Amino acid sequence: MKKRNRLLEKLRYFQPREKMSQGWSEVSHKGREWEDIYRQRWQYDKVVRSTHGVNCTGSCSWNIFVKDGIVAWENQSTDYPTTGADMPEFEPRGCPRGASFSWYIYSPLRVKYPYIRSVLLEMWRESLAKTNDPVKAWAAIVENPTHSKRYKTARGKGGLVRTSWEEVTQIIAANLIYTIKKYGPDRILGFSPIPAMSMISYASGSRFLSMLGSPLLSFYDWYADLPPASPQIWGDQTDVPESSDWFNSEYIIVWGSNIPLTRTPDAHFLTEARYKGTKIVNVSPDYAESTKFADNWLSVKPGTDGAVAMAMGHVILNEFYEKNKTDSFATYAKKYTDFPFLVTLQKDGDQFKADRFLNSQDIDRNVQHGDWKTVVFDERTGAYAIPKGTVGSRWDDKQNWNLKMEDEDTNEAIDPRLSILGIEDETVTVKLPYFDDYKKEVMTRSVPVKKIEKDGETIYVTSVYDLMLANYGIDRGIGGDVPQSYDDKKPFTPAWQEEFTGVSRKDVIKIAREFAQNAIDTNGKSMIIVGAGINHWYHSDTIYRAVLNLVLMVGSQGVNGGGWAHYVGQEKLRPKEGWGTLAFAKDWGNVPKQQNGTSFFYFATDQWRYEEIPVSEFVSPVADKARYDHVGDYNVLAARNGWLPSFPQFNKNSIDLYEEAQSAGADNEEQIRNYVAEQLKNKTLQFSIEDPDNPVNFPRTMFVWRANLISSSGKGHEYFLKHLLGTHNGLLNEDSDTLRPEEVKWHDEAPEGKLDLLVDMDFRMSGTALYSDIILPAATWYEKHDLSSTDMHPFVHPFNPAVSPQWESKSDWDTFKKVAKTFSEMSKHYFDGPVKEVIGTPLAHDSKAEISQPLGKVKDWSKGETEPIPGVTMPNIQVVERDYANIYKKMISIGDGPSNNPIMKDEFEKLKKMIPKTEEDGISKGKPSIASDRDAAQMVLSLSSTTNGKVAAKAWEDLEHKTGQTFKDLSAEREAEHFTFDDITRQPKEVLTSPAFSGSNKNRRYSPFTINVERDKPWHTLTGRQHFYIDHEMMMEWGESLATYKPIVNHTPFLPSKSRPDVEGKEITLQYLTPHNKWSIHSMYFDSKPMLELFRGGPTIWLNKDDAAEAGLDDNDWMECFNRNGVVVGRAVVTHRIPRGMAFMHHAQDRHIYVPKTNVSGTRGGTHNSPTKIHVKPTHMIGGYAQLSYGFNYYGPTGNQRDLNVVIRKLKEVDWLED
Amino acid sequence: MADQFWWVIFPYLVMTIFIFGHLYRFQTGEFGWTAKSSEFLEKKRLKWGSWLFHIGVIFVFFGHVAGLLIPVKVYYALGVSDEFYHTMAVWGGGIAGLMAVVGIFLLLIRRFSVKRVRATSSLGDFIAIILLTITIVAGLVATGTNTVADSGFDYRTTINPWVRGLLIFKPDAAFMETVPLPFKIHMVSAFALFGIWPFTRLVHVFSLPLLYLRRSYVLYRKRIKTAGAHK
Repeated sequence: MKKRNRLLEKLRYFQPREKMSQGWSEVSHKGREWEDIYRQRWQYDKVVRSTHGVNCTGSCSWNIFVKDGIVAWENQSTDYPTTGADMPEFEPRGCPRGASFSWYIYSPLRVKYPYIRSVLLEMWRESLAKTNDPVKAWAAIVENPTHSKRYKTARGKGGLVRTSWEEVTQIIAANLIYTIKKYGPDRILGFSPIPAMSMISYASGSRFLSMLGSPLLSFYDWYADLPPASPQIWGDQTDVPESSDWFNSEYIIVWGSNIPLTRTPDAHFLTEARYKGTKIVNVSPDYAESTKFADNWLSVKPGTDGAVAMAMGHVILNEFYEKNKTDSFATYAKKYTDFPFLVTLQKDGDQFKADRFLNSQDIDRNVQHGDWKTVVFDERTGAYAIPKGTVGSRWDDKQNWNLKMEDEDTNEAIDPRLSILGIEDETVTVKLPYFDDYKKEVMTRSVPVKKIEKDGETIYVTSVYDLMLANYGIDRGIGGDVPQSYDDKKPFTPAWQEEFTGVSRKDVIKIAREFAQNAIDTNGKSMIIVGAGINHWYHSDTIYRAVLNLVLMVGSQGVNGGGWAHYVGQEKLRPKEGWGTLAFAKDWGNVPKQQNGTSFFYFATDQWRYEEIPVSEFVSPVADKARYDHVGDYNVLAARNGWLPSFPQFNKNSIDLYEEAQSAGADNEEQIRNYVAEQLKNKTLQFSIEDPDNPVNFPRTMFVWRANLISSSGKGHEYFLKHLLGTHNGLLNEDSDTLRPEEVKWHDEAPEGKLDLLVDMDFRMSGTALYSDIILPAATWYEKHDLSSTDMHPFVHPFNPAVSPQWESKSDWDTFKKVAKTFSEMSKHYFDGPVKEVIGTPLAHDSKAEISQPLGKVKDWSKGETEPIPGVTMPNIQVVERDYANIYKKMISIGDGPSNNPIMKDEFEKLKKMIPKTEEDGISKGKPSIASDRDAAQMVLSLSSTTNGKVAAKAWEDLEHKTGQTFKDLSAEREAEHFTFDDITRQPKEVLTSPAFSGSNKNRRYSPFTINVERDKPWHTLTGRQHFYIDHEMMMEWGESLATYKPIVNHTPFLPSKSRPDVEGKEITLQYLTPHNKWSIHSMYFDSKPMLELFRGGPTIWLNKDDAAEAGLDDNDWMECFNRNGVVVGRAVVTHRIPRGMAFMHHAQDRHIYVPKTNVSGTRGGTHNSPTKIHVKPTHMIGGYAQLSYGFNYYGPTGNQRDLNVVIRKLKEVDWLED
Repeated sequence: MADQFWWVIFPYLVMTIFIFGHLYRFQTGEFGWTAKSSEFLEKKRLKWGSWLFHIGVIFVFFGHVAGLLIPVKVYYALGVSDEFYHTMAVWGGGIAGLMAVVGIFLLLIRRFSVKRVRATSSLGDFIAIILLTITIVAGLVATGTNTVADSGFDYRTTINPWVRGLLIFKPDAAFMETVPLPFKIHMVSAFALFGIWPFTRLVHVFSLPLLYLRRSYVLYRKRIKTAGAHK
């Protein structure tokens, strides 16, 4: 194109022009070259397949378009394999959030270089120059109170300056070596959530930290996305149908899940199901987007969903079990649920209370693992029988762990009775706990019982089914205080629930009947989609159990188009085995430390110091009293008894502890185990959790990557700022007269700034980045290789780099390699070869340790109730070697582990031929190299049963061996398939059916537990069945052996006894709900220009128009929203969409956009998490007991924060604190 | 010789730089042609400083045109008395000058004392504002001392013909011999300002939307063959 002379162009001003239309128009002399920009707008140089790693559960396949070396835009891929005839296709998948992602790459928010806060950098340089030794230099800073305070109090206040990768990794390595030597490796922690959203990135840090001996923190429970009801009922973390299976359903209740908003790419299946004729019921307090799909809308009061579900259960049990026997339900219940199992009753005065399951020892059957084999009454023989499939027979290794209706010992066919009624010895009154919004009391109801004489004592037993009917208040004509009709306001009738839920009894009856009748007519195609709306409460597990009981009662679980569908978090990591090997360095024989997030943060951020409601207020009216009044004490019990992990672990460096044990004469592992148990018993050694505010027990270093912890998921934000980070905060709470624990040591002075170093890796300046000491620039999702999967569809998608990491950014894989390399090199000077440490790990689910603590009884060895035996009554104690100088070499090569794994070993040989070998001398020489993230991804694909047919075949063989059932055919026709990274880059590819999950997708849509139901594979529970009844002592203490209704906790904004900010103008108190945002995925996209333009931008809080009027608020007014936990400022969205009494502040509105000052805290109004605090529930801590045993992200207390109220008022003056 | 430099060579040097500098700047950096507003960084002080300075300096400009370029004979011919002329010059010019001087001081202080503004200022910004301040202060002092002392000095018979001489290429430094020092400072610093003018934000003085004065409302562009167009 000819370049024009701009000056001469100007002179054309004086030229005559061609004018038309009476001088109204004229011909310009200017050119039309600019139009080419638009002609070339959609031209591109290359297109690359990638996806977004954002925990939206979408995992959609996208095409990324590159033009002139710049990522120009992205488009949804349209080449998903077909779902087959008569089914809608997966495509379209995507949403406006993902479609706007490329904006971030070149946005002003991009982290382009390594950053560090200048106060810290200056001290470091000075200290390093002085000491000439990085570790001493670091020690000089953190051990000097003035120095450490200076940089800790500067957190969150800017002052970040660029530094180099060399300098910053040296600081990190110095910190790591210092912390390991001084406090032990378990004071270093990593937080990174949702491996499924970018598996290799997760594995990068987890591989490095696991080899250090540093714990990874769990997230599923911490996010309160984990439904504890799932492990309780099924012994499974979470397994749900893919979204296309909605189309197979004929009746869907959408319960607290806003499908179009939070499952945007999947919502079309719900629309299509409606076109097909599926009935949809929506249960939601507000007129949510999902409501528009619904034929019926139940506008329920927040948190009372359990009451609606209990009443529905009442109708179904009454009409489809008791009054009219439904054969299909009874058949299902007998085989696949614990209904027929017998429960012992304990005498309580002249009445009874339900106790533990009857087991084989009670009926004098001498079998192995007798405590763990539960018993039914066999109709055929008229005697007790031990059905196959219990957890006891699972660990017998007799190859008959299955659900065949046979006695596990005699192999005789059995037909369990559901009810004792009809063969009862007598009818007794049983006391059952009842809770509602005003009171808790004992319900007295009748159950039929059989009597067993044993050792001169009478054991009274009844069936779970009988207890269930009694609990739900079904009138069986055997007496008891039961309601006489649906209109009787006794629990749990449709009339009873009206008062609490606001839902009409007619609707409850109608929908319960329809749901059950539909299941009869369609063989179980009745589905309930549940979500965060009902899952984030303190008592979410009781809500869930009440709801999930419905799908069990109607036999729809394990049926395509039926069962539960819980979608909260992108938890399904499909290529499981290979990834687990990579992520936790199992190939090098590593023993990882996996800490449950909630317990860690509860103590680390000192939220435990602010407890106000004694546990006694929560416990069952049937139970004697609470074991402890402070929930923190329960956590100490859980740590001691090996129920939960507990890192930082001991009040001694774990490396020193090993050396100490050695010098005390303990030579082998057995002696060390005994030594540690002895030390703990006589209290010379303590768990860190017993004194979390003692500096020796502080967490010292944290790595956060792929996460926005300090803002998005840091529930109790102001507690984080005050105690963990030690910087300015808006905490209004005081700990001067709170509850004092018995097992945890109290210090009057609460520590501030426990953490020495917070390192964040991100590609955008998120809230966490702003509070971190060091920020490392991460590659975006269009700049690296990785893998992604979800529970919503059956594909594993690749990430591919469209452009190389921009500026100085690196993929997480390369970042941790760099850190590992610097660390390993420095370690040579600071460690004389490998070191050994002592670690304690909890009694793990799906390991034999899950049958350690029988009968569900709590035995605390510290109280002398039993002896401390590692791996049985307390954590398993192990000695592990850490070879710090070789971590880098191990990190980038695959150790020999897979060769010893029977399902992997052949395929590992194949993998060795697919990826390069390590050339470098030393420990890794000749081993397969995973220096590149792409090869690491191939390792994951090659060694997993969902992505390699040969691995699947071996895994099935293993299961066939354990169960004596046939499974191999489920993946046999695809046995030759071995996914490569190229394969999945070419086109999305459906994963193989494998025993890693509970459902089959062989020529059908994936639905969980179909393998259990169709192939008689037991659930991983105590009875091997789906549980209505849970017999652990602590579940009884809390009155939750059976599903029940529990009101929300409803914490008031301020305690009357304590001070609060002065009242200013009109104020209103509302429930504080933080549902997911429409214009963001958590905090991601919340700050992007395209998304900010779709709504108002900046923090907003929604409230009802009448509530707004009461508080004198107009739409778009700025307001303060606060309680004793903190304050957040946002603008009012005044709407009729939300009922009165509640405020919606969409979750994860990060604090870096539009945050004015509030006088409540005197600083900027915080985040959506400022008015929150977590509330820990002890029943989530139970361990060592069948399905109630610990697994990382499987069980553990949830970090729930929903049962809160806030004061809302108009912000007097909007001050941006700019001058 | 010094007079010859300051009042003949220097002005021509500056005028050459002024004219060709602007052409060069436009040709090479049209999109950098800007007033470089710093309102985004600080509003309160700018509001007063900028308004006072700009209004003042525009009147001062017209005063200079009236005083320098129009020969005294023209006033006599029009019947403007010396007295009336001086009253207008002193009062009108004084008020405008005062506004300009207050404005420029506010802007000067702002530029140096507001952290964000200072941090984003270029060397050109500092030189321009300092020269502007010197020029305005010297100009005001010159006018003030001349009137108050009533020295009998009349710039209309000295400076004016000198200036006009420069413009018609008949420069004569002799006119400047009797001019008082403040005037000399005023003029030298003004010429220094003109010299750096094209390379600073001051170019925005020439950003006037003249195009609109004789443009039709509807514009068409011709279809021409370009590399990207295929039709």
